Amino acid sequence: MTATKIKEKAGKALFASSAIICIVAVLAIFVFLIIKSAPAFQKIGVFDFIFGDKWSPNREDTYNSDMSGKYGIFTMIIGTVSATIGALLIGGTLGYFTSIFLVFYCPKGLKKPLNTVINLLAGIPSVVYGFFGIAFLLPTLSNIAPNNGSGLLATSIILGIMILPTVVSLSKTSLEAVPSTYYQGSLATGADHTKTVFRVMVPSASSGIMASLVLGIGRALGETMAVVMVAGNAPTYPYSLFNSFRVMTANIVMEMGYAGELQEGALVATGVVLLVFVLLVNLLFNLISNKMVRSAVSSKSNFKWFNSIRQKINDKVTQISYKINSSKIGEIGAKASGLLVSGVLILIVGFIFIKGMPTLVTTPHLLIGKFEFGSEKITILPALVCTLFAVILSLLFAVPIGVATAIFLNEYTSKSNFIVKMIRGAIDILAGVPSIVYGLFGMITFVKLFGGSSSIIAGSLTISIMLLPTIVRSTEESLKSVPMSLREASLALGAGKMRTIFKVVLPSSLPGILSAIILSIGRVVSESAPLLYTMGSVIKAVPTNIFDSGATLAVALYKLSGEGWYINEAYATAVVLIILVLGLNLIAETVGNKLRTGLKGENNVNKKKSKSTE
Amino acid sequence: MLIRKNRNPQNNELSFNGHISVSNASLWYEDFQALKNISIEIPENQITAFIGPSGCGKSTFLKCLNRMNDLVDNCRVEGSFKIGDVDIYGKIDVNELRKNVGMVFQKPNPFPMSVYDNIAYGPRTFGITKRQELDEIVESSLRQAAMWDDLKDRLFESALGLSGGQQQRLCIARALAVKPKIILMDEPTSALDPISTGKIEELCEELKKDTTIVIVTHNMQQASRISDKTGFFLLGELVEYDNTDNIFTSPNDERTERYITGRFG
Ligand SMILES: Nc1ncnc2c1ncn2[C@@H]1O[C@H](COP(=O)(O)OP(=O)(O)OP(=O)(O)O)[C@@H](O)[C@H]1O
Ligand SMILES: [Mg+2]
Repeated sequence: MTATKIKEKAGKALFASSAIICIVAVLAIFVFLIIKSAPAFQKIGVFDFIFGDKWSPNREDTYNSDMSGKYGIFTMIIGTVSATIGALLIGGTLGYFTSIFLVFYCPKGLKKPLNTVINLLAGIPSVVYGFFGIAFLLPTLSNIAPNNGSGLLATSIILGIMILPTVVSLSKTSLEAVPSTYYQGSLATGADHTKTVFRVMVPSASSGIMASLVLGIGRALGETMAVVMVAGNAPTYPYSLFNSFRVMTANIVMEMGYAGELQEGALVATGVVLLVFVLLVNLLFNLISNKMVRSAVSSKSNFKWFNSIRQKINDKVTQISYKINSSKIGEIGAKASGLLVSGVLILIVGFIFIKGMPTLVTTPHLLIGKFEFGSEKITILPALVCTLFAVILSLLFAVPIGVATAIFLNEYTSKSNFIVKMIRGAIDILAGVPSIVYGLFGMITFVKLFGGSSSIIAGSLTISIMLLPTIVRSTEESLKSVPMSLREASLALGAGKMRTIFKVVLPSSLPGILSAIILSIGRVVSESAPLLYTMGSVIKAVPTNIFDSGATLAVALYKLSGEGWYINEAYATAVVLIILVLGLNLIAETVGNKLRTGLKGENNVNKKKSKSTE
Repeated sequence: MLIRKNRNPQNNELSFNGHISVSNASLWYEDFQALKNISIEIPENQITAFIGPSGCGKSTFLKCLNRMNDLVDNCRVEGSFKIGDVDIYGKIDVNELRKNVGMVFQKPNPFPMSVYDNIAYGPRTFGITKRQELDEIVESSLRQAAMWDDLKDRLFESALGLSGGQQQRLCIARALAVKPKIILMDEPTSALDPISTGKIEELCEELKKDTTIVIVTHNMQQASRISDKTGFFLLGELVEYDNTDNIFTSPNDERTERYITGRFG
C-alpha cells in the first residue's frame, strides 16, 4: 500500500468512528437510564410508580432496606399532560394564526421583521422565560388568583410562548408549499382572498400544521427550567388554574441534587417515563410527516358506518363554518396574532431591559468585580468565565465529531445503507431527547467519571452530546449544497477523496458549518437544566481549571431569581444573557443569509448566461 | 364635485351576459408591453379560440377577462373591457365578476378535498349551505360535465385520486357550479391524453348552448375542430380575428398563414 492509500483508509475509518459515536451515545443514554431505573421500578413496582399519586420520598430508602417513602408520579404525569395541553391551546392557536398571518396577510415590509421577532423568541433561553414569569407574569396574575399566581395558567402561558416559534416555523413552511394553482383556482370561482385562505390554502396544509403542533407538544413535554420557575412544584394534581403542581421534568430538577439511593432511581425512572412520552410524540410526528408526503391518497376507512358518521360530522362543521362566516373570524384572528406576537417579544425584552439596565450600568462590580465570599456584592464574572469554558470545551468535542459524522454520511455512504439508517435514527432520537434527560445521563456518567462531583469538564461533555444533532444536520445540509461537479473536477485532477474533502468540499461548505457553530454557542449559553448538576450551580470564584465546578450565566440567573434577595442583579444578569443570545442569533442569521444570497448570486449569473445564449 | 356616483361596489345586479367587447387594450408587466392595442368582439354562446406562438400573450389576454392579472404585481392595464354592459375594470365587485367568468387552467387543479366539496366550493362561497340544494348543484354540474355516471359513487373520495382527464373535467364542473356566463380555458387539454382531450372537446360543444367559451390552444386541429371564431396572436398583437373557417382556409395576413402552415412558431 502506498502512503496515500493508507491516508485514505485512515481518513475513512476516522469519519466512520465519529459516526459510530452518535449511535454509541444513544445506546449509552438508554442503557444507563435503564440500568439506573430498573431497580427502582422493581422495588416500587411499575404500576405503583406510574399510577400512584403520592410522592413523598425518603432519603434513607435504599434498594435493600424496607421502603418508607411513597413513590408515585401520576400527579406529575397529569401535570405534564395538562401543562402540555395548556401550552398547545395558547401557543398552538397563536402559532397557527401567526403563521397564516405571515404567509397571507402580512404587509411585505413587515414580513422580515416579524420573522426575525419569531426567530428571536426561539433564541431566548428558557431561564429567561422562567424569570420573566417570576418577575412579571406571576405578580400580574396574582391580582386575579387566590395564590401568588403560580400554577397551570402561568405555566401554560409561558410554555405557550416558548413553543410558538416551533409551531410557526413549520406551519409557515407547509403553508408556503401549498401550490399557488389552488389559490388561483379558488379565486377563479369567485371566492375572495380570505375565503380562499381559510377554505383551500389552510386545509391543504393541514397535515404540515398538525406536524408542527406535534413538534410543539414535544417541546412542551421536555421543557424544564421555565416550568420549574412558575408551576409551584408541589406534587399534587393541577386541579385548578392556580394551584401549585409539578411536572415530570421539574421532579427531576427539584430533587436530583440531594436524592437518596432509591429516590435517585425513582427520579431516573421519571426520566424514563418522560422519554417514553417524548419518543411516542416523535413517532407520531414521523407518522404525520410521512402522511404529508403521501397526502394525495385519500384516507378511507373500511367501515361504512364510520365513513358515514364522519361525513355527517364534516358536513355539519362545513355548514356551520360557512354560516357563521368563520373565514372572516380567521382573518381577524390572524391579524391579531401577528400583532400579539410582536407585542410579546417587546414586552419580555423591554420589561427585562428597563428593569435590568440601570443595575448593569450603575454597578460595574456586577460584571467585572472580584468574588468575595460572604459578601453582599454579587459578581457574574465567574459565571461569564464558566460559560466561556463550557462553550469552548463543548465545541471542542462536538464540532469535530459532528462534522466528521456529517462527512461520513454525505461523502462515504449511500442512502439505503443499514448503518446509515442507524446513524440517522440515532441523530433523530438525540435531537428529541429532553435536555433534563441529558442532565441525568451526564450525572450518572461524566460526573461519576470525574470524581463524583460536578465539574466544567463533565458539564461540557454532557452538553456536547446535545449539540451533536444540530451540528451533524446543518453540516450535512451545507455539504449537500456543494455541487457534485466540484468534487468530480477535483477527483478528475487526480486528487484523492481526502484531499477533495479537505481542499474542495469543506471550504465550500464553511459558512453553513459556521452558522451551525454559532447557533451551538447560543445553545450552550442558554441551556441550564442539563448543567445544573453536571457543571455546578453555586456562584463562586472564577474557576481555575476544568475540573472546578461553577455556574454558567443561565444557571446563575436561575439561582439568583430563586433567592429573592438579588432580584436587581437577576434582572441585570438576564439582560446580559439576552444580549449574548440574541447577538449570537443575529450573527448566525446574517451568516446564513450571506450563504443564501451567495448561492442566489450564482444562480443569477447562470440565468444571465443562459439568457444571452438564447 | 356636485354629482356623486354610486360608489357601492356591491351593486349586485350587474348585467353580465356572455358577450365580451374589448377595445384598444394594452398591458404592461413593469416596462414590458405584453399586449398591444387589442380590440375584439367575442360573441355570446360560441367558442372562440386563441392561437399563437409561445409567449405571444394569449394567457395574458385571457387573464384580463376575469382580472386574474390583479394578482400580478406591477401589471398595468389600459383600454376598455366590457362584458355585456359592465366595465369590468370599473367599480365592480371582482368576485362577482369571477363568478360570472369561470376559468379552467392548463394543469388540472382540483382542491385536495372530496369530489363533492370541490364542486360545492363555489356555491358555498356564495352562501348556499343547504344540503339538498348543494346535492342538486353537484349532480347537475357533474351531469353537465358528463361525469355523473363515472363519479356518482365516488363523490366523497379525494379528488386527487382521479385521473388527469377526470380531474380536468371536475375542474370544469367546479367552474360550472356557480353558473357562469363565460368560461375561459387556458390550454385545458395540453396535459391530457387524446381520449380525455376528445371528451373535453365534446363537452365544450355541449356547453356552448348557454355559455361563451374562450379557449387558448397550441393545437391547431383542436382550434379548427371546435371553435367558431379564431384569433391569432403574435408578439402581443392580435394579428387576425375571424371565423375559424376563414382563418384556416383563407387567412388575410401572411403571418397567420405562415403560422398555421407550420412555418414558424
Ligand atoms: N407575471 C409576469 N411578469 C412578467 N412578464 C410576464 C408575466 N407573465 C407573462 N409574462 C410575459 O408576457 C409575455 C406573454 O406571456 P403569456 O403567458 O401571456 O404568453 P402565452 O401566449 O400564454 O404563451 P404560452 O403559449 O407559452 O402559454 C411573455 O413574454 C411572458 O414572458
Ligand atoms: Mg399561456
